[in-house]
Amino acid sequence: MKLEDLRRIRERAQDRLRLRGGEARIKIVVGMGTSGIAAGARKTLRAILDEVTRRNLSDVIVTQTGEKGLAAREPIVEVYEEGKVTVYGEVDEALARRIVAEHVVNGRPLSEHILEVREVKA
Amino acid sequence: MHVADLVENALRAGAKHIRIALGRKGGALILEVTDDGQGMDLLEAERAMDPFYTTKDRPVKVGLGLPLLRQTAEELRGRLDISSQPGRGTRVRLELPWDHPDRPPIGDLAGTLIPLIITSQGVEFTLVLADDQRTWELDTREVRDHLGGLPLTHPEVLSFLERYVREGMEHVGLKEDG
Repeated sequence: MKLEDLRRIRERAQDRLRLRGGEARIKIVVGMGTSGIAAGARKTLRAILDEVTRRNLSDVIVTQTGEKGLAAREPIVEVYEEGKVTVYGEVDEALARRIVAEHVVNGRPLSEHILEVREVKA
Repeated sequence: MHVADLVENALRAGAKHIRIALGRKGGALILEVTDDGQGMDLLEAERAMDPFYTTKDRPVKVGLGLPLLRQTAEELRGRLDISSQPGRGTRVRLELPWDHPDRPPIGDLAGTLIPLIITSQGVEFTLVLADDQRTWELDTREVRDHLGGLPLTHPEVLSFLERYVREGMEHVGLKEDG
């Protein structure tokens, strides 16, 4: 194995994005600021990555961000879809896995855990 | 192994670069974690060895990481050294006899470290694996160069890096031993 092999992963990921017109279907963002990490965001992110990998969801990208200004409700997870973003609060490992299974895969948001839904420009 | 604990300590100290070196040299297992975090003065370094002292949010966790590590080192006739300077960073070095029957196994280093590395935004890591003859190295800055804008948290990148580190372990004779 060579580190250069990573370029092939990068090219494949770019190709797949191009096929879909340049956008991932869903982007999941985990708040990884100090308060998020203190509240367990690292485990949350790992659980999401594990679910996304296990289910082979190649049209989903997972990234992280800093403080979300919602320290009391950390860990915060945002799910970006076309035209909207759904913000979840207090996402532990179990909830993180449910968000992937229910919201991301089946398209059924978990309303009882949602802090807010915002419209975003496509 | 205690690698993850030591890395968590370094992250909590606000490190921007963490170097993890694991080696099998001259009959010893040597683990060294060096960070450029806030560091400690002598008093704090001494306190770090006190099993009832912690800088973490209580009461969720009790700061037993380093004291337990020192206890392990003493029981196995190895050693644990900490050198630290406020504002400069900390280095923790653990040395244990490789063949001691009670030496903690290396375990799944790749499966432990890689998730920790890719979820630590804004922190760069250097991982060095070595034995008496060979050295193997991974640097997250180099990984980023190859990835362009693709995040380290991309699932394929995650599994690539885990496999890559496992291969590195075998390359230097540090195969997982249980």
